[in-house]
Amino acid sequence: MPEGEADRMLVSRIEEGTVVDHIPDWRANTVSRVLRLDKLARMQADVSVVILQNVASRHLGRKDIIKIDRWHVDEKDADILCLVFPTITVNYIDEGKVSKYEPQVPDTIEGRIRCPELNCISNTEREPVTPRFSTLKKESLLQCRYCDALLAFASVPEYVRT
Amino acid sequence: MSPGTDFLGRDVVSARDFKRDQFEQILQGVEDFEKHHGSLEGAQRGKLAALLFFEPSTRTYSSFQIAAEKLGMRVSGFAGPTGSSITKGETLHDTLRMFEGYGADVFVIRHSKMGAARFAAEISDTPVISAGDGSREHPTQAMVDLYAIKKAFGHIDGLKVGMLGDLRYGRTSSSLAYALSNFDVDITFIAPEALQMRPEVIQLLKQRGSTPKKESALKSVAKDLDVLYVTRIQKERIPDPTEYERVKGMYEVNLEALRDAKPSLKVLHPLPRVDELSTDIDETNYAQYFVQAAGGLPLRMVLLNLILGGVS
Repeated sequence: MPEGEADRMLVSRIEEGTVVDHIPDWRANTVSRVLRLDKLARMQADVSVVILQNVASRHLGRKDIIKIDRWHVDEKDADILCLVFPTITVNYIDEGKVSKYEPQVPDTIEGRIRCPELNCISNTEREPVTPRFSTLKKESLLQCRYCDALLAFASVPEYVRT
Repeated sequence: MSPGTDFLGRDVVSARDFKRDQFEQILQGVEDFEKHHGSLEGAQRGKLAALLFFEPSTRTYSSFQIAAEKLGMRVSGFAGPTGSSITKGETLHDTLRMFEGYGADVFVIRHSKMGAARFAAEISDTPVISAGDGSREHPTQAMVDLYAIKKAFGHIDGLKVGMLGDLRYGRTSSSLAYALSNFDVDITFIAPEALQMRPEVIQLLKQRGSTPKKESALKSVAKDLDVLYVTRIQKERIPDPTEYERVKGMYEVNLEALRDAKPSLKVLHPLPRVDELSTDIDETNYAQYFVQAAGGLPLRMVLLNLILGGVS
């Protein structure tokens, strides 16, 4: 079945919300975790999330898609997602009109990921400290501002703060 | 630029943050100070040093305390969590705020959490000097170590430096490695794999063009070294007790282990030692660790003075 047909058949178009496309096949659950969609769904009663897996794709062969009805994914979260899945694309839909957002590898990340080093000050509950990372793009690593610990882009989903 | 400009009001939270000329400025300052002993007495009279040691310390606390007092400063704070409000659960953040309110001119902080010094520097306008944060760094010890090396050889460039022991959790080793990365030195990390140097340290060294070597035993490299920096392997760091028993002998430095070493080799140790460094080295030309320890006080006097606006 050609690209686009499968998801159109399975789920109707959304008028308002976000479509995260070109997710590597069977990795939609990881994307869901990075975007903290379970939390969103709990907070926003009228948000619906549809996950399509193993859909035919011209570029990737097979891919996953996530459609979020009535919620715009934060661009900063989309940027974090692109550390792990550089192929993803994000489409925002407003009143049926689609605008593309191209996620960028950010220079710094604040507050969204916790440090892998348990003894880092940023993992101390009672101190008012926000975890901060800088990106070492060439090496595909994040570096904690406080303890200098390194975190591979691929390991980011394990450390997303919930 | 006056000698103190680079340091005026600055934080000392990581040896990563300092460049070669800044290390050289400090070392020159200590050398000058030692030549004109006593010239800094009372130089910062009336200022207040807050020594906030959230982790117990005797040596580093005392050297900062004496350094501040010799500069004429008043000293306040605590030498460990016992008897302080830390045991009641007061945070680093609140403690800093409180001492800022008391008019502290400089903070010297030791804390068990990695990165505590950087966090402290971020939330406070008062200069922060790290006296060790978790197993991350101990930047002023690295300055002391550089000074001991410079004193022994007259230079740092061109030397072959071996760092031995618990490099993964040893905060002095990582700070010294960062500091040495500003110089043209050949570094070898000698440790069992589980205690090898942390990836972020190796990463920065490579970024700066240094290619440190890794070895698992002293024996294979002892003959090539100019400096051997020894740290203790702590039993609790190695999960398997039989593994500890197996490796501990490999990292004990004694005359037998240095049989093939150059006569000019200098052995450094941040002290205190337990059994990783034999006393049979003490009376040999290899021993540089007591000279190294003696450098702690003048170095901290010079550093405090520069940060607080004195000249070297």
